[in-house]
Amino acid sequence: MDILWFGVLALLLIGYFTLEGFDLGVGMLLPLTPDRDRAIGAIGPFVLANEVWLIAVAGVLFGAFPACENVLSANYEAVVLLLVSWVLRDAGLWFRRRLFTRAFWEWTIAVASFGVCLAWGLLLAGLGGFSVPFGLLYGLLVAALFVMHGRRFLDWRLTGGGSLLVTGALAAVPAIVPLVGTAGAVVANAAPSANLTVLTFMVLPFVPVLAGAQIWVWRAFGKGPVPAYF
Amino acid sequence: MDVLDLARLQFAMTGSLHFLFVVLTLGLAPLVAIMHTRYARTGSTLDERATRFWGQIYVTNYALGIVTGIVMEFQFGLSWSGLTHYAGDVFGAPLALETLIAFFLESTFLGLWIFGWHRLPKWLHVATIWLVTITAYASAFWIMVANSFLQHPAGSVRDGEVLRLDDFGALLTNPSLSMALPHVLSAGLTVGGFVVMSASAYHLFRRTPDRELFSRSLRMGVWTAFAGTMMVVGFGFAQFGPVTGVQPDKFVDRPLAAFGLGMMILIGHLLQLVALVLVILVKWAPRWRFLHPLIMLVTPLPFIAAILGWIAREEGRQPWMIWERLTVADAITPGLTGGQITVSFVAFVGVLTLLAVADYVLIVRIVRRGAHEVALGENPAPAPALTF
Ligand code: HEM
Repeated sequence: MDILWFGVLALLLIGYFTLEGFDLGVGMLLPLTPDRDRAIGAIGPFVLANEVWLIAVAGVLFGAFPACENVLSANYEAVVLLLVSWVLRDAGLWFRRRLFTRAFWEWTIAVASFGVCLAWGLLLAGLGGFSVPFGLLYGLLVAALFVMHGRRFLDWRLTGGGSLLVTGALAAVPAIVPLVGTAGAVVANAAPSANLTVLTFMVLPFVPVLAGAQIWVWRAFGKGPVPAYF
Repeated sequence: MDVLDLARLQFAMTGSLHFLFVVLTLGLAPLVAIMHTRYARTGSTLDERATRFWGQIYVTNYALGIVTGIVMEFQFGLSWSGLTHYAGDVFGAPLALETLIAFFLESTFLGLWIFGWHRLPKWLHVATIWLVTITAYASAFWIMVANSFLQHPAGSVRDGEVLRLDDFGALLTNPSLSMALPHVLSAGLTVGGFVVMSASAYHLFRRTPDRELFSRSLRMGVWTAFAGTMMVVGFGFAQFGPVTGVQPDKFVDRPLAAFGLGMMILIGHLLQLVALVLVILVKWAPRWRFLHPLIMLVTPLPFIAAILGWIAREEGRQPWMIWERLTVADAITPGLTGGQITVSFVAFVGVLTLLAVADYVLIVRIVRRGAHEVALGENPAPAPALTF
């Protein structure tokens, strides 16, 4: 049971990196993008469905591996940077067409998306006890992979061609490495099996709904005209 | 202020900001879903415009609910790891279920609803807003389960130094939960009803063109506020039994909690009276202009009552994090430094307050602009015309 829930945790974190990776990549590319409306329109319908994978990661950490939760307080500054950047990126999307100037929010989105990548570098490096400079470098790697994935996504969505699998898999690599490194320690810190049984029974019936809703998003917004709300 | 005070204040302020937006989400979601259903049945432009106008307000409000919620979710891990250490095996379960089987779906379906205009089949599109509503309520349920556990640690046993989950059913039937949950949900309806009334009253007072649309919305708001206030007061008084059963003397010697409680009750009765009068006058209310400024004037009150209610509930819990099990002082992250908590305080409270103000500015602007220029569900730009 503990291995099953570690699998859920890993799946959610990897899912977050591959999915939210292209949103953040497109965000960082905005200053270099001539048609920003179309770029944001391309990611727009996916953002809400993508970012929520990380909320689920936090939930599973809480419910199935509460003893591992101290990774957050142990990497306090990195987590604060992650959250503030994430919040500002979202605010940029909601407000861009509506408050002040578009350029202001577009720069906010770009800088905040980069902030999220740096924070991930610091946080993931922190898990392995690596130094801050190494964490920043790791963050740059995350940013570079996300930018690649974001470019690929824009091509795929706007001109229609190729596949997202390669860049998507690459975007997940920075998360897979620490997952492999910490797997043993995380599993050893799982909640008692009675808890995991309750969680399993509660969540299992919803798995088809969760998967169905995500697939629905891709089917509905994967092609066709680019909607404008963000 | 020391580290503990700052950590508490940070939680109180981000939590209050979060709830200001959440309480309106809870109230508006079912109303927007009803309007959308009506539009799907009639196909009339009036219903379409009403759905898009209130939907845009709902979505704009929701944005801040999400971003403040993100901060709430992670704050437990950042500043309160003593709580997870002591009771993570119990407290973590409802939070995990909230994210996996409620919020995950809510966010996904909301995206489908916002971007699904002119794209999803009509009835499937309506289904998404109902699913958003249901999952929002499910979310409220799980969060209230977690909160009620702090008030009364039902379903858990002491095992050496920590608490363990003993009876999941008892966690869900916690006496601290049974009346608090309907009280909170009715608070949402009250807030939603007053906001809908008030924005409609603004347009009717200003005699803007959409007379019929806002007359209808006003009536819908009046009925919602009426039902909301009746239930919020009823479930409010019904809470006293269970609360004093598991937390005797909760409001004795805790002046701030007692003040919150007293003011909430005062506002509750006032709002009930207002809603009762309006429901009697509902037929004429859209035409009687003198009523409209009064309606606008009382609209902040349900928001204030909701925050006061949380102050009563949580101040009344002090100095406990988990009632008679774990103190707040023992729940804070060991070794949390003044520098760390100051940085996160400034970052979270500062950024979220600015964004909250910006969001309210935007909501007011959307209300004032009226129902003829709504971005949500706009027709896609027509394809460039071919010229020969
Ligand atoms: C006569 C009217 C009211 C009575 C008798 C009443 C009573 C109560 C009681 C006993 C509590 C529980 C405190 C605890 O658990 O320690 C509470 C909490 C609360 N109240 Fe009220 N209340 C009233 C009106 C309102 C109104 C009008 C609102 C908002 C529109 C509101 C919102 C809340 C909230 C959000 C809480 C915290 C969560 C909860 O315990 O349900 N209340 N109220």
